[in-house]
Amino acid sequence: MPHRALLELRNVTIKFGGLIAVNDLSFTVNEGEIVGLIGPNGAGKTTVFNLISGVYRPTKGEIYFNGENIVGLKPYQVCQKGIGRTFQLVKPFGNKTVLYNVMVGAFLHTNNTHVSREKALEVLKLVGLHHRKDMLAKNLTIVDRKKLEVAKALATEPKLLLLDEVLAGLNPAEVNEAIEVIKRIHRAGVTILLIEHVLKAAMALSQRVVVIDYGRKIAEGPPEEVTNNPEVIKAYLGERYGAARN
Amino acid sequence: MARLASPRYYLPVLLILLLFALPLFVKSPYYLHIMAMVLFWAYMATAWNIVGGFAGQLSLGHGAYVAAGAYTSSLLFAYLGISPWFGMFIGGLVAGLMGFLVGYPTLRLRGAYYALATVGFAEGFRVILTNTTHIGKWKTGGAEGFMIPLLGNAPQHMQFISKVPYYYLILVLFLILVLICRWIDGSKLGYYLTALREDEDAALALGINTARVKLVAATLSAFFAGVGGVFYAQLIRYLEPNAIAGPIMSNQIVFLAIVGGRGTVLGPALGGLVLTLIGEITRVVFNQIMGLHLFLYGLLVVLFVIFKPRGLIEFLEVLWNRLVNLLERREGKHAA
Repeated sequence: MPHRALLELRNVTIKFGGLIAVNDLSFTVNEGEIVGLIGPNGAGKTTVFNLISGVYRPTKGEIYFNGENIVGLKPYQVCQKGIGRTFQLVKPFGNKTVLYNVMVGAFLHTNNTHVSREKALEVLKLVGLHHRKDMLAKNLTIVDRKKLEVAKALATEPKLLLLDEVLAGLNPAEVNEAIEVIKRIHRAGVTILLIEHVLKAAMALSQRVVVIDYGRKIAEGPPEEVTNNPEVIKAYLGERYGAARN
Repeated sequence: MARLASPRYYLPVLLILLLFALPLFVKSPYYLHIMAMVLFWAYMATAWNIVGGFAGQLSLGHGAYVAAGAYTSSLLFAYLGISPWFGMFIGGLVAGLMGFLVGYPTLRLRGAYYALATVGFAEGFRVILTNTTHIGKWKTGGAEGFMIPLLGNAPQHMQFISKVPYYYLILVLFLILVLICRWIDGSKLGYYLTALREDEDAALALGINTARVKLVAATLSAFFAGVGGVFYAQLIRYLEPNAIAGPIMSNQIVFLAIVGGRGTVLGPALGGLVLTLIGEITRVVFNQIMGLHLFLYGLLVVLFVIFKPRGLIEFLEVLWNRLVNLLERREGKHAA
């Protein structure tokens, strides 16, 4: 597989007042990869997603997607370029059906209701939510809500999908189910950057992980290598290797 | 024909036919006038709903667009002899342009800013209308108001002695607007409006230019409000800034839509029909208490927001489904 960088962050920094939330962060995501972005609570993972998707503008640094600097684009423009994202706190259009929700995403590439419906049904089959298509989004269980969140983003036909903690809050059986869904999406040709707190799952999915702490990158590499990195262990387990946090 | 056999289709058709047949039974000009006004308010609430309901952006200044339409067509008619039939379109465009100009800077902001901007703009516009007696050589009347020259029966200038044509005119306008709203609701625009109303961040993440979609809704809504204003001008034939551009007009439209059911296709119209009828009845029964109907509207808005936030349409949907089921079952029996 050619290692073409689909997404590249170059020395990205963002400050909120005196707080440096992301500090001189650089990493790349190659086409066809699944990359995990991990780190303890408050490390700045979601902030990185908000920077990529245009919710925040970096104080310094550049973000390249497909070779084009996307800093300064609005969130909807970033999506139109081909970056889909999910939210950690899922954002379904609760009073509408599952199908309606996904059709909103599918309308990005068509004005035709019929085409949009076909696309949405296809995506619903891919994530395994087809049997719930007529249910109101607010009545879904948590695992189905997470799937819906993914389906909406997927319906916009992204080249790169940013998944923000889609496995959090799921029981072990549901985690396995969700992992299968992510693998299926990957096989369909979508590059994936995922934030995960459930380390085991992140390790199982990712070909490469980037570890950040206090907004800085502290390690990068294949999962098995990173888990043995002393700095990573320190960040996750504390200075004295105390009780496991996760 | 098979489709027409289902109550889901023939009931609305029957209802529309009934609306068209009403003037055959009602001969009193007074009642015909009230019926036209009821439809006018239903039309206005439906027009407001495009931005206030579908897009969820609270506009509290639609009176300005009504006035813009009304004054535009009336002045063009009085001084250039342009028929209000054309004036209706021009008035709508002027109102739409105003909706665009108010929305452009403010719809990028979130929350109450748009609502505040619409109040500010409408009040400003009302004050300007009140204090402007002339535009160039054209007399606009200022606070005294503006009288539309009476020609007697002149259909080519949208003037009729009988109230019946007015009733049919507003009925047709109302039905066209409802059809347009139904179409919007089921189209890409409708999906996008719903998405941004439910969660703007989620909508943005799905590639929706929310500022632009809101602006489209605000412009369309103002256009139809302006067209409604032209009808109002022709029916009343007297424009008074306080009545047409003021809070009484603006707020009343919002009240009707909220009580009827914001964001649904037929809710605002239902609110317009029911509340205006209640308003007319209280006006007759308690004629010594001025503005009692507005007090009642306010009370209903409070009660509905607390107890039935989806509005009157919820009752109608239940009733409707029961009726359709009943008819379908009866037909099923006949067939068997």
